[in-house]
Amino acid sequence: MKILIIEDEESLRESIVSYLKGEGNICEVATTYWNAIEKINLYSYDCILLDLMLPGGDGLNLLSEIKKRNKQEGVLIISAKHSLDDKLNGLEMGADDYLVKPFHLSELKARIMAVVRRKNFSGSNVMSFNEINIDLQAMEVKVNEKPINFTKKEYELLLYFISNQGKVISKNAIAEHLWGDEIDMSDDFDFIYTHIKNLRKKLVEVGARDYIKSMYGVGYKLENT
Amino acid sequence: MKLAQRYNRANLFTSFIILMITGVIYYIAIHFILTGNLDKDLVIEEKEIQAYIKNYERLPSSGDFLHQKVTYNKLGTAQKIERSFFYDNFYNEEDNENEPGRSLVTIVNLKAEKYQVTISKSRVEAEDLVRLIFMITLTVTVLLLISLLLINRFVLQRIWSPFYSTLNMMKAFNITQKEEIKPSHTKIDEFNELSDSANAMATRVRQDYKELKSFTDNASHEMMTPLAIVNSKLDSLLQTGSFSSSQGAILEDIYHAIGRLIKLNQSLLLIAKIENNLIPDIQDIDLHQLINDKVVQFQELLEKDSLKLDLQLSFSKIRMSKYLVDILLNNLLANAIWHNHKGGCVGIILQPKYLQITNTGKIGTLDSQLFERFSKSSTSEGTGLGLAISKQICSLYGFSISYNYLAEKHQFKIEF
Repeated sequence: MKILIIEDEESLRESIVSYLKGEGNICEVATTYWNAIEKINLYSYDCILLDLMLPGGDGLNLLSEIKKRNKQEGVLIISAKHSLDDKLNGLEMGADDYLVKPFHLSELKARIMAVVRRKNFSGSNVMSFNEINIDLQAMEVKVNEKPINFTKKEYELLLYFISNQGKVISKNAIAEHLWGDEIDMSDDFDFIYTHIKNLRKKLVEVGARDYIKSMYGVGYKLENT
Repeated sequence: MKLAQRYNRANLFTSFIILMITGVIYYIAIHFILTGNLDKDLVIEEKEIQAYIKNYERLPSSGDFLHQKVTYNKLGTAQKIERSFFYDNFYNEEDNENEPGRSLVTIVNLKAEKYQVTISKSRVEAEDLVRLIFMITLTVTVLLLISLLLINRFVLQRIWSPFYSTLNMMKAFNITQKEEIKPSHTKIDEFNELSDSANAMATRVRQDYKELKSFTDNASHEMMTPLAIVNSKLDSLLQTGSFSSSQGAILEDIYHAIGRLIKLNQSLLLIAKIENNLIPDIQDIDLHQLINDKVVQFQELLEKDSLKLDLQLSFSKIRMSKYLVDILLNNLLANAIWHNHKGGCVGIILQPKYLQITNTGKIGTLDSQLFERFSKSSTSEGTGLGLAISKQICSLYGFSISYNYLAEKHQFKIEF
């Protein structure tokens, strides 16, 4: 997967790149408006992360430039502005998703995967992880052809883990992913443990390996062991 | 007491007193002048009688005089009288009635004999004149008082109307709204000055408030970037290797703190946006449907503390921003769940005109400051902005939100 990261804040850019690269992902970066235009003209990507406030120009203009070139890239806007206007404008102009800073890197990764999946959707919309097969359209999970009856949250959780396989996901990130950052969670994330326990139990019951591990009490990791 | 009323009272009272005094003086003066005139006529008559006696050596006959009567009395030698004017009655033969009169008593000498002569004149014309003048004065006084009253009532009311319109605009002044205080146009300098000053003050206050707000807004915005960096670095740090469980606990604390800071910042930005009415996306909201969705969204959180949910939902449609109604319901439901105790219950009643959310809770009645910013119970880990935001959302759309503690349950009610 080839990803272009258009972001002028160096520290943030570095974090994103280091989180996303590996597993066959290639990350390229652009730090200014013109830098980005150049890259878009020369190469094609699976997904473009677009910061709206860039030196040299407005990110939304960049978006219309991308769309003008009739490219098939998925565009994910990452903005510090929690502005509904920007969000609606961006989505109307053809962006695939809008993520407000600050975000968890695991959330970013999951969104990118979703965008790319939607773009590359061709007939079969199935995601697999070893013996676990997920029919994204029917929202069905099967292990060794045995269906598992997941709740909606458990299903989302599994998808989140698979999108971020090999990464430690903090409990905060999980809570925010499942309930949205608009709900004040009172920082009480202990109940997430119950959900993960249920998820693991249901997977193991049908014969899947136990991939999900608790990490230092901070978070969890799905590891392909 | 109103200024005009007070002024009116003083004004009318003084006018009345002065007019009364003037009336009395006027009456006395006219009376004095008219009596003087009568006396002069009487004196002329006296002189004529004396002249007559001198010429003819006899008394003139009583009937020789028009509109006056003359009587003679022969005086004994011992009798002495003073020459004097006095009031008495005058009998008018023509009209056959008694009229007030003025008489002069004097003494004439005729051939070594003394006669007392009484000359009487009717005062009725003079009295009529005095009465007429008095009536005119009284009418004028009454007219004057009435016109003063009317002037005070209507003219003052008109003159003061710019004052009241300025006052009303000052009463309605809301720092968060952009309505100007309209300058009132009047010829009264004081009111113009008042209106101008009120305007200047409003502008200055708004300007200060705007600066303060944009400061908060900018500060929150500026803070977001470093927060985003810290957040992402923390995520990155987590990937770097193995941590001991004590290190893990530290990391978790940092996550919590950052999470709270981010949430706080987002809330502050949201408040600024609601205040500036910068939330578009207004649409018809089917509350019945939305609450059902929310219940699903909160399902796991309800189960966590085995809370019993009691739903009584009718259909209700309101018109507001989808984004804000989401936040409003999230805040209220999250509160009802987080501040609950194990095995408690959450009740949601939706009627076309109101939404009511009740929950059992750990603590008793909350203080009245609960809708203020940063007011929260000591046990709450929230930002203390949730209810402030809820209130602000409600007031943006003209809804009223109220809190009650009834039958050991916290109750929040929004009336549309």
